[in-house]
Formats: sequence, C-alpha cells, structure tokens
Amino acid sequence: MSDLPSFPEGFPLPERGLEEVAAAEPQDLAAALAFALLRVSPEPEKGLRRPGLFVAAKAWLRERGRPFAQGWQMPTPSGCGLIVVAVADERQVIWALEEALKSGAVGGAVAALSAPDFVATRRLAFAAKAGGAAAAILRTTGAEGLSAAWRRWRIGSLASAPQAFDVRAPGPARLRAELTRRRDGLPGVWELEWDDDRRIWRDAKSGPAAAQQARGLRLAAGLARDGLDPFDPASEGSRQVG
Amino acid sequence: MTVWTRSTRHQKAPVRSAEASDQKPIPFALVERNGRGLCLRAVNGAAQKLGLWRGQSQADARAMAPDLVTVPADPAAEALALQRLALWAERFSPCVALMADGPGVEGLALDMTGGTHLFGGETAFIAAFEARLAKAGILARVAMADSLGAAWALARFGGLTQIAPVGGAREALADLPVEALRLDPEAVTLLKRFGLQRIGDLYPLPRAGLARRFRGPRAGAMGLKVVERLDQALGFRAEPVVPVRPPPAYRSFQVFAEPITETAGVALYLPDLAKALAEQLQRDGQGARRLTLTGYRVDGATTSIEAGLSAASAQPSHLLRLLKEKGLEALDLGFGIDALMLSAPVAEASVAQQEGLDGERSATEVAALASLIDRLQAKLGEDAVQTPRPRGSWLPERSEGWDAASNLGFGAFDPVLRPRPILLFHPPERVEAIAELPDSAPARFTWRRVARRVVRAEGPERIAPEWWRLSPASPRPPRTRDYYRIEDETGRRYWLFREGLYGREDQDRTPEWWLHGVFA
Repeated sequence: MSDLPSFPEGFPLPERGLEEVAAAEPQDLAAALAFALLRVSPEPEKGLRRPGLFVAAKAWLRERGRPFAQGWQMPTPSGCGLIVVAVADERQVIWALEEALKSGAVGGAVAALSAPDFVATRRLAFAAKAGGAAAAILRTTGAEGLSAAWRRWRIGSLASAPQAFDVRAPGPARLRAELTRRRDGLPGVWELEWDDDRRIWRDAKSGPAAAQQARGLRLAAGLARDGLDPFDPASEGSRQVG
Repeated sequence: MTVWTRSTRHQKAPVRSAEASDQKPIPFALVERNGRGLCLRAVNGAAQKLGLWRGQSQADARAMAPDLVTVPADPAAEALALQRLALWAERFSPCVALMADGPGVEGLALDMTGGTHLFGGETAFIAAFEARLAKAGILARVAMADSLGAAWALARFGGLTQIAPVGGAREALADLPVEALRLDPEAVTLLKRFGLQRIGDLYPLPRAGLARRFRGPRAGAMGLKVVERLDQALGFRAEPVVPVRPPPAYRSFQVFAEPITETAGVALYLPDLAKALAEQLQRDGQGARRLTLTGYRVDGATTSIEAGLSAASAQPSHLLRLLKEKGLEALDLGFGIDALMLSAPVAEASVAQQEGLDGERSATEVAALASLIDRLQAKLGEDAVQTPRPRGSWLPERSEGWDAASNLGFGAFDPVLRPRPILLFHPPERVEAIAELPDSAPARFTWRRVARRVVRAEGPERIAPEWWRLSPASPRPPRTRDYYRIEDETGRRYWLFREGLYGREDQDRTPEWWLHGVFA
C-alpha cells in the first residue's frame, strides 16, 4: 500500500497559503480543528522540517479547551514540534500569526479567530505566501463576510465508522468537509475518515472501514438468512463450529 | 610597605532625605519604636546642632528641642530608596555597592578605578556627583580614597578633605576620630578610655599589644576588629565589595548633553547602542541571551526594559527589533534621562552554524525560529509561547507539561496507544450523567445545559489516582477515574470520566461525572 494519503477524488491537496476552516456548528469545533491541522500539513519536503504553531486567545482556550498534544498525533502541522501561543485578544492572534508566517520559521499555523476583517486576511495571505507556510483560520461560527482566504471550508461531525471489534464503541472518526468557496475551481462536499493505522485522513466511502461495513452487512444478511443473531458471540461461535 | 596602589577608589553618599536641604533649618527626626519606646532613628543637621543624637528617646529629645518635628520611620522604603539610588549610580561605575551600616549612616560605594578621567578628573567628578545628588534633593558627602575604609572615614568625618591622595590615606586619616574606623560603640568607648582619641594615636602602638589589649571574654572579637578595621582603612587588608548587581560583561553607553524627554529620542540613539554592543559581543564570539536597556533619569532614578533571547544573538538588527517589540513606551522618562545604557547581563558563546551542503536549511531555520520565538515572547510575555513536553503520569492533565518555548527543544511523544482528545478542558467540566448500571457508560448526559443521548461508548479506561501526590488543598484522597469515549446522536465524540467507584471509595460521596475533552 502506498503511503500517500488516499484522498477522495477532486479533493484539493493541502498546500501553502491561507485557508479558512469553520465549524458548521459550535459543537463541531473539534472536527474543524482536526481538519485545519490536515490543511496546514503540506507534504513534508525533503530536509525541510519546520514546527507548527497554534495561536488562540486565552479566553478561547478557557472556553473551548486547550490543545492536548497526545491527541494531536493526527497530522500535526509538519509533524515536527508544536508551539502554542496564548494571547490576550484577537488583535494579538492576528499579529502573532502574521509574524510567524512572515518569518518562515513555521511550516503550518492554525489561528482561532472569530471574525477577521478582509484587510487582516489579505495581510495573512501575503505573509503565508512570503514565508512559504500553510495557514488556516479556525472559526467557531460560519464563514460570512469577505475574506482573502484561498479556500473556505465548513466542517461538520459525522457518526463514526463501525469499529471492527466492538459494535458498541465509536469507530474511526468521520467528518464532512464542505468547500463553500474556492478561487481555483468548483465547490464540493467530501466525507473523510481517520485511518488510525496509517495516521492519515482518507476517503470515507472507499476506505477499508467502508469495505468492512459492506462485508459486515453481507455477513449480517447471511446470518439473518441462517436465523442467527450477528451480534451474539455465542451464535457466531456456534456457526463457526457448525 | 604598601602593596596597594590607587586600585580602589571609592566614594560614599550617606542618604538622608530632602528635609535636610530646607532653607530654614527645622530640627527634624525619624522615629521608630524599639525596646525603650519611641527613639530617634535619624536626625538632620539642625537637630544635631541642638544636641540630639541617634538612639535618643523621643521624650528626651522633645524636652531638649520643643519644636522638633518627628515622622515615623519606614525602614523598608529607606532600603528601597537606597537600592534605587545605587542603580542610578551605575551610570558612573559598573560596580556599585550598598553600605547599609545602619540608620542614618547609609552610603554607597563606587569602584571608580580608572574611571574618573571620563568625568574630568577626581575633583571635577566629585563636584559633579555632589551637584547631581543635590539636584535630586539628596544631601550627600562624597569622598575618594585608596581603600573602602579610608573613603568611608573621609566621607563622614573628613571635614574639608574629600580626596586622599595616592598612598596618602595614612596622613589623611591620622587626625580623624577613632569612630571613623567603623568600630562597635563599645570598642570606641574602650579606646577613648585609654586616651586614644584619633586614628593617628593608634599608629605608633605595637599591633600585638593592640590586639592583646582588647582581648577578653567579650572584647576578644572586638580587639581583633580594631586591628582589622585599621588595616582595612590603610589598605593592608583586602575588603570585598559586593555590587548591588553584577556588572554586565557587555554594555554600551551613551551620555547626552541635554536630557532626553521623549521616546523618539531614545529610539534615535538605540541603533548606535545596539551596534556598539553587538561589536563587543562579536569580538568575543558571544551572543546575548538577555538584554537590558537602562535610562538614567536626572532625578536620581532609573528606568529599564528587558528582553530575553531564546538563542544567543549578536545581530544588531535583531537586538534592536526585540527592544522595539518590547515597547520603548514602557520606559518612564520622567523629567528626562541624561544617559542610556544597553547591556547584555547574560551572554553565552554563539556557535556559527553551517549552512547545509545537501539542501538542508537547518541552520537558517533554527535561527529564524529562535528569532520568531524571541519576538513573540518579547511582545506577548515569556509564558505566552509554550511547547508541550511529555511527563511521566497517566493523569491526562499531568501527562504533558507546557514549558516556555525558549530552548528550542521539542518533546517527543510516544505514539498514542489509547484514544486521546484533541482539545482538553482544564479543569474538567462537570456534567450530569445517567447510566443504566452504576459501573457502566452513561446513557445520557447534560453538558453546558444541552442534553445529549449516547449512541456508542467505549470504556472504561481506568486511571488510578496518584495517591502519593496528595494535595494539601483538598483533605480527601483523590479518587479513581473511569474514562469513556462517547459518541452522541449527532456524531460528536466526547471524553467523559466518572470519578469514584460506587461503594468502594468515599462511602459518603457518590461518584461524579466530568467531561475532560472532545475528539475530532
């Protein structure tokens, strides 16, 4: 199996520049953050390993939780070190993000902002271009207003894929990524699924979990035909013995 | 035989507040309460003329001088004022020591070795220094001699003699009273009882006899002290000077003819200062890890801003940018500053990094990152920029530490074996949960006033309490946590834990549910 992420067809690959990731609803923020991390992790170039940066206001961190590094084993920006900057207000968030992008010292940066104005986003877009970095503005609420971001996303949580060994447990995380606005093509909607083995996001419709789900359904159908309960270990065991 | 050359030159400035410089002398004293009731702590010149002295009780003093004005003493404020003055005096010498011998006799010691020519010679320096102090409302006497002890004596008892010529301490001190040797009062009394009034009276006495004469159950140490103090004053015995803060190894200095009252003026001179400092650093292959910009105000105070660097740097542009980021507005210029010092109190060897051979840009990248962290820290504060580091604990909130991102190392986390949330609430948030069985995953829970139905749950992952880390704040022992990964009907995933085991921990407390984090 190749190590390249198997993104769905037409899904724009992460690249340098400024994008905007908004949570469809405030509760979808965790999914939006995970997606923003994916967007600011362009494929690592040879010998170029720069750390990632996360900037948020202190009030944001208190209200919505602080980054938990062990949970960021999903693509951290550039996969190499993480710097978290906690600042007093949104003006400083923009300043810190712009400084970091301009310096060229970070590979990817995510900043939690509620409503940056057009001028600010334009400055950030230029800074990202100058520093060769990928940046994402993480917004709690929908993406209204003008923005200089190259792409704008709306992220919603989806029920997780089935867990292979325990039907009652949540499986690999899934999310729905809606590209509401882009400058280089048509908008679209994709569903992504977290692959825990390869530590990448992949197409939810063609991943092994989907295949397994289909297989599980087939199995369940077959068992139902045989008059057995698919979720009862005893009956499954008896079937195997029989 | 004198081995001391004019290597240590000192001056003293007994600090007494501005009251003393009144036009019409009013007897004034600071009083403090001690074992004998209210006593005078310090007296001004007018009060001294009336025969009042330090340590006299206030009642006696009032009887002698009915119009005596007294104010309660504030020793802490006095010490602070002296400290401030010492920092200000650093504009004349990098080595300034406090001489807080006691109330009323405080002073400063400056090591002016090889420095007086910068101020036009010794006489001119002393005159200028006294004038500056007087302008700031501080009445002080300044004296200069080969040794600390001699300068101390001249400053307080020297009369018109302010400068002891090189090697002339012996003659200069001969006529001064023995009090000028910094002796205990008891030793002074004893000496006077023997008829030894002047320091010169001690010169012809045999040293062994002098030491022996003062020996005794209590006078033993004192007798030694007399010989010791005499030797210190004459420069036969070394006396360490402990500066109020260590002299910076690297500093650049700029004195202005006219005081600067605006920040723009400071900004104008800053590039030259930074360049001069960077040249010194580069000459020694060093880089600054800490920067201090100090302004010396005309009113005898100092104002300063500091900035830290995450990696040693001797780039004038970077130093300049850091200070500007920190904000020159933070300098309180008051009525103006007449000198500006840029110093690197902490410096370390800076190693030149190789620019890659194979397309690696590591050296430039490390430098860029260090300068970025410096700028962020200078503007946002030292603890605003952090990086996570793994710690040896299973408790989620203790399992990673957040350190200031200054030393450019990133903690390596082991690959997660268990699901961990992407955002963690610290402290955890209380939720109302209903479980079908006491020990099972919740079926419903209410978080932030929204009820959620649990569709799928995984757990428990049991994390035992760290009983060896009892917090003194809570008298109860910590309880076991059972963590569940939960998905609700809308597809959002949470990390909940139940604190406490039913019927096994804390019989009187029922277990509680908390939300600790959210998953992607």
